[in-house]
Amino acid sequence: MTSLSRRTMLRGAIGSAAVGVALPLLDCFLDTNGVALAATGQRIPVRFGTWVWGCGFIPEKWIPTTVGHGYALPADLAPLEPYRDKLALFSGFDVKLDGVANKPHITGCLGLRTGIPVPNEDVKAPTLDVLIAQKIGGETRFRSLDVSTCGLKKSYSYHAAGSPNPSETSPSALYRRIFGAGFQDPSALAFEPDTRIMARRSVLSAVTDDRQRLMRTVSASDRARLDEYFTSIRQIEQQLDLQLQPPAPVKDFTRPAAPDEEGQGSEMGQVMETHRIMADLLAKALQVNQTRVFNVLFSDTASNLRREGETTTHHTLTHEEPADAVLGYQKEHSYFATQSMVAWKEFLDSLASIPEGDGTLLDNCLVMAHSDCSIAKAHAVEGIPTMIAGNSGGGVRTGYHLDGKGDSIARLGLTVQQAMGVQVEKWGQLSMETNRTITELIA
Amino acid sequence: MALRHRIGRKGVLLAAGVVLAVGSLVTYSYRAPARLQAGGGSFLRDGTAGFVVTDIAYALGPDTQDTPACPQGMSLDVSQIFAASPDGQQRPGEDDEAYTKRKEAGGKALSATADGRDYCTNPALAPVDTHARLLLDPRARAEGIDLDGKISRSPADARSGKLDFVGIDGTKGVDNQFWRAVGCNRSYQSRGQSNGFKIEMYSGSWGILIKLDGVDDLRNDDSIKVGLYANADPLQVSPTRNALEYATYAMDADKRFRAETTGRIRDGLLTTDPVDVRFHHVVNGMYLERPLRDARMQATLSPHGVLKGFLAGYSPVEAIYNYQFGFRDAKDAAGKPTLQRAVASANGAARVLGHTCPGMWQSLHRMADGHRDAKSGAFTSISTQYRIEARPAFVVDVLTHSKNDKLVRND
Amino acid sequence: MTSPDPTLPAALRRWSRLRRARFPVLAGGALVLLLALAGAQFMEPSEPEPVGGPPMMRRLTEAQYRAIIADIFGPQVPVTGRFEKAVRVGGMIAIGTGSAGISPFAIEQYDASAQGIAAAVMSPSRRNRYLTCGPSDVRRFDQPCATQFLNQNGRLLFRRALTPAETNKYVGLARRATGQLGNFHRGLELSLYTMLIAPDFLFRIEHAKPGLDGRPGELDAYSRASRIAFFLTGSTPDDALLRAAEQGELDRPGGVERQAERLMATPRYEQAVRSFFADMMQFDRFGDLSKDPAIYPAFNSDLAEDAQEQTLRTVVEHLVTKRGDYRDLFTTRDTFLTRSLGVVYRTPVPQRGEWVPATFAPSAHRAGIQSQVAFLSLHSHPGRTSPTLRGYAVRQIFLCQDVPDPPATVNFTAIEASAHRPNVTARDRIFQHATDASCAGCHKVMDPLGLTLENYDGLGTFRQRENGALIDTSGSLDGTDFDTTDGLANALHDHPETPRCVAERMYKAAVGRDITWNERYYLDWLIGRFAADDYRIPDLMRRIVTSAEFFATTRPVMPGTLVRADARTIAGDRL
Repeated sequence: MTSLSRRTMLRGAIGSAAVGVALPLLDCFLDTNGVALAATGQRIPVRFGTWVWGCGFIPEKWIPTTVGHGYALPADLAPLEPYRDKLALFSGFDVKLDGVANKPHITGCLGLRTGIPVPNEDVKAPTLDVLIAQKIGGETRFRSLDVSTCGLKKSYSYHAAGSPNPSETSPSALYRRIFGAGFQDPSALAFEPDTRIMARRSVLSAVTDDRQRLMRTVSASDRARLDEYFTSIRQIEQQLDLQLQPPAPVKDFTRPAAPDEEGQGSEMGQVMETHRIMADLLAKALQVNQTRVFNVLFSDTASNLRREGETTTHHTLTHEEPADAVLGYQKEHSYFATQSMVAWKEFLDSLASIPEGDGTLLDNCLVMAHSDCSIAKAHAVEGIPTMIAGNSGGGVRTGYHLDGKGDSIARLGLTVQQAMGVQVEKWGQLSMETNRTITELIA
Repeated sequence: MALRHRIGRKGVLLAAGVVLAVGSLVTYSYRAPARLQAGGGSFLRDGTAGFVVTDIAYALGPDTQDTPACPQGMSLDVSQIFAASPDGQQRPGEDDEAYTKRKEAGGKALSATADGRDYCTNPALAPVDTHARLLLDPRARAEGIDLDGKISRSPADARSGKLDFVGIDGTKGVDNQFWRAVGCNRSYQSRGQSNGFKIEMYSGSWGILIKLDGVDDLRNDDSIKVGLYANADPLQVSPTRNALEYATYAMDADKRFRAETTGRIRDGLLTTDPVDVRFHHVVNGMYLERPLRDARMQATLSPHGVLKGFLAGYSPVEAIYNYQFGFRDAKDAAGKPTLQRAVASANGAARVLGHTCPGMWQSLHRMADGHRDAKSGAFTSISTQYRIEARPAFVVDVLTHSKNDKLVRND
Repeated sequence: MTSPDPTLPAALRRWSRLRRARFPVLAGGALVLLLALAGAQFMEPSEPEPVGGPPMMRRLTEAQYRAIIADIFGPQVPVTGRFEKAVRVGGMIAIGTGSAGISPFAIEQYDASAQGIAAAVMSPSRRNRYLTCGPSDVRRFDQPCATQFLNQNGRLLFRRALTPAETNKYVGLARRATGQLGNFHRGLELSLYTMLIAPDFLFRIEHAKPGLDGRPGELDAYSRASRIAFFLTGSTPDDALLRAAEQGELDRPGGVERQAERLMATPRYEQAVRSFFADMMQFDRFGDLSKDPAIYPAFNSDLAEDAQEQTLRTVVEHLVTKRGDYRDLFTTRDTFLTRSLGVVYRTPVPQRGEWVPATFAPSAHRAGIQSQVAFLSLHSHPGRTSPTLRGYAVRQIFLCQDVPDPPATVNFTAIEASAHRPNVTARDRIFQHATDASCAGCHKVMDPLGLTLENYDGLGTFRQRENGALIDTSGSLDGTDFDTTDGLANALHDHPETPRCVAERMYKAAVGRDITWNERYYLDWLIGRFAADDYRIPDLMRRIVTSAEFFATTRPVMPGTLVRADARTIAGDRL
């Protein structure tokens, strides 16, 4: 079977499977390919992204004093109050060095993203965004979109050592790339159902053929258990049927205006503006299925952000500035740490501004925000602050703070991949290897 | 165990005794893995008590910034030095950003010889840094212990700069010339960036072990053996990043990082006799060595096994310059020199911490008070005091390996 | 057979009656008598006439599923499902398999896992290991090759040969999928995927031959092979065992014995013993265990893992490697340690990242697996010990005795409030248990055991004081008084229920259900033989496998109850 137009497909779906959906459709359930189902009964894809900011945090202004739901938002997270329920906070998860030299601002970031602590940029495995893109990024125009809002053409997305994905730093270039030549109006797109899913759907029905034979051979109580099994199988069939339908048509899409912003520079105000424009463009790109995976570098891990008129960067400040005698922490560093969280909030604003299904685009995303270290002046890679935003179409749970108590931070990477349908039971290597899913995160 | 199979099921009872006997014979002849005899109880066992250092910092003194202790203010970094020069003044019409850039560039120009030889790597080539400040105030106080048994408080001592401190706790004759060398630097104030260096210790890059042998009485014992070793294993920490007690650690396999001496405990106060020690130090992924000559410890020992006090001695001037300021002998994890990273780190550190490399090198030499060179008559080491805390641990002597061995050797 | 076998020694019958009356001291006496009888006569009492139980339909456990995939396809093939919490019935997940269903969540996981396994098996880098044939043009369907591959793997997965109809079905699926996907290997992959999600794989469905003249029936040869394999290896029957079933060897005298002997000599046997004890000691509950890091700084996920591994290594070394007396498991000081464990036991462990065989000195107060970190920490609260939880666990896990849940109205505030008050010990805190009539009845059987274990803190470190006060460790177990943990160890060792409990659990786990009323004589016989075999676990297991009762069946008459996957039989919140 080759390419099918949407019309043939619809006919096919009705004809073949007769879509025997006798059970009520759940509002949102997720199958292993990460396909959410809107209340309309049409599927909405889930998306994955990372959002990176440099130089960590001020612990007393970031880590909630309690775990679980209902924690009090510390000062630097206060801007995120509107997203409290759509955020999960992770503190106390470590990149485990066990003797590996800590390359400042690199080892922590890449350790978190590959599950292996490396003493330099030579990653030993692809970063998790690449692994997830392999799973969910295939059907779209761009396997992933990578942007940097601080003027540096860097990214922490690697296929292999030596090949980081380059980031787009200019909003207008990003616009041209997405909405310039080659952009097709989403409603005109042909839908190609996955032949593998079609084949799987057809062999699955063979499983249920055995129902009568088996029912005859077992006791009454075992019959009830078999019945439960066959009902469960039916749900899988229904999920497959859904994937054989075209995705939900995109409503309310208007092509954004082209920005004239070139996005150079690292001055805080300018970076915030660049970031806002790029976040909006990315959100629109996600809305019309140009990509399902993205990486945003808000500030480099050795943060080059600076205040207007200053040449001392955020990174330099973390090493240079004495702790304020009254506050007990570095005041200037704190300014950048706070602004980073404001930017993160604005990023979520962009995703949440796009209606989708019963909710917003954010509800169908899983965005992992993280830094490269916890305490920047010492480049500590223990307890790197990390957040998950969005519910991945109902696939992940948010709204709480979780303390990893020194567990390997690879647990997060593992769980996020599993939530996105990557078949992985164990992730990370050497001192960081883990098979322990963060069950709190999986819905 | 093949024996048991031959005997078969029925004979097992009968044979049990035989197997036992043969088993023990066999153990002696070729079965290597002897069982570990595991104990339990207090931190002092059979006269031996081990400790792992859980806290260490330079023992300095009360803050000096904006006090009469530093009458000429604090030491300057290269950019500040340039800004203080006629050329370094802000020009009419020059905006702040451009001026800041010009100051950085001006400072950079002061950091190397005209033909580009870096001063952090070659401090001897630099002119005298007239903006480096020393803590020469005779009223200044310091933490620490008396290292040389002398109370040097004469006007001549004051003139030479080799003036003993009166300790914060009233101790007389405290030798702490390192504090005089760095005391008027902004980063050595209590909230500055340079007075703590244990974070790499907590992430497992280096550590220090202490072992006491021949201890008969924890309160009073006139003769004990004391070992001071670099730790070959990472510190074991709790989920809240506190060091665990009663963990096992191996002493460094390299004899240069092992020192043994004698000591005594009186009324719970442990003092040890001078011995040269050497520890590891890691910063910015650079591997350095931290030697201390004629080092001695003076620490109280609590009933629960917490050692708390001072470790003090004389740091060879060139060595302390290297591990604290210039990084000239820095190696990477594989043991190869990393000069490029060293130059960048040394200059960057000097710029952000508020000193110049040559200024520090000169100050350390000027304040040096130990190990006089027989030929030149110059002192080659500088009295240095560390505040330490150590907790119960088991110190063993075995070869030890990281799970990440392969990566550790990566470069 | 409905009445006690008249040939059964009178002492044995009397003993079994006494056991149920819970007179342990007397029962112990009866045991001695029995041993004397057996010894004096040099005669093995023969197995009572088999009475049988219903054939079972058992869901694979996670451990079995993983072991099967590794056995059939090799350990490199990934199993990527996230398995839900297992159902524990009668103290064992292995028994729960006889009533556990498969929820939609579970099917999603099995589905994902099946896709991953099938894809890995048919991946270009691996498939030559499993496939020795194939079409010259991969777009073509090669029927003989598909038939061979699917028959071979279907037999291993379903633990029986495929019927001709089944062969047709799976070959047909492969053909159709080959057509759809244009690739022979993709076609085989999908057919294999279908097998991996089929009920015949995910459930072990037993079949029996009915008995004649009202006598019990007998499992068919394949079902017997499965029972043998899962009990002795924790995995699926291997090719040799299936062949033995197919060729009638299991019906011939000595056939089962030979297979049992063979399987018990493989490394898988050790694995089966490990799985049994991990199940019995409820180590799956470690997933939910948390400790207050301020109070127990040494606790983290690595320690939790090492603690379980320590106990399992202790068990396997003692029971399998040394063929030791099961009861000595409660007094042995031989064990294995890592550096993480050394922190809790406060003992040096020189090697980093290795397991070191170790023997505790008598002064270390570590006799028996109940004195190890795994048991002690699992049965404590996050920030303190619980004599009640520990006492309950000893009763429930090692003695198979159940204690009812606490009344719903119970008020714990007084206990919580005084947890860390100066000079207050657990004995003071739980004083109320003895004075409140609604508590006393149950707590008097749990607390005295746990109070002796107060010598270990909530993680398992030995201590003599709590909150500054000296701990009074006097306690008792069914009439035996002690005031040291060694005393408790000896009392557990000597308790007549100790070996009986493990024998009963072993049998129930082997058949996946509770015993039937009529099986109690068989069980009495089994425990008698266990004693005569010096309480060696391998002998007990061999005897179970080779007994006629193991394969005997009644008509299926199980009551129709569906056990939900999230049901828990362990009361979580006791004091």
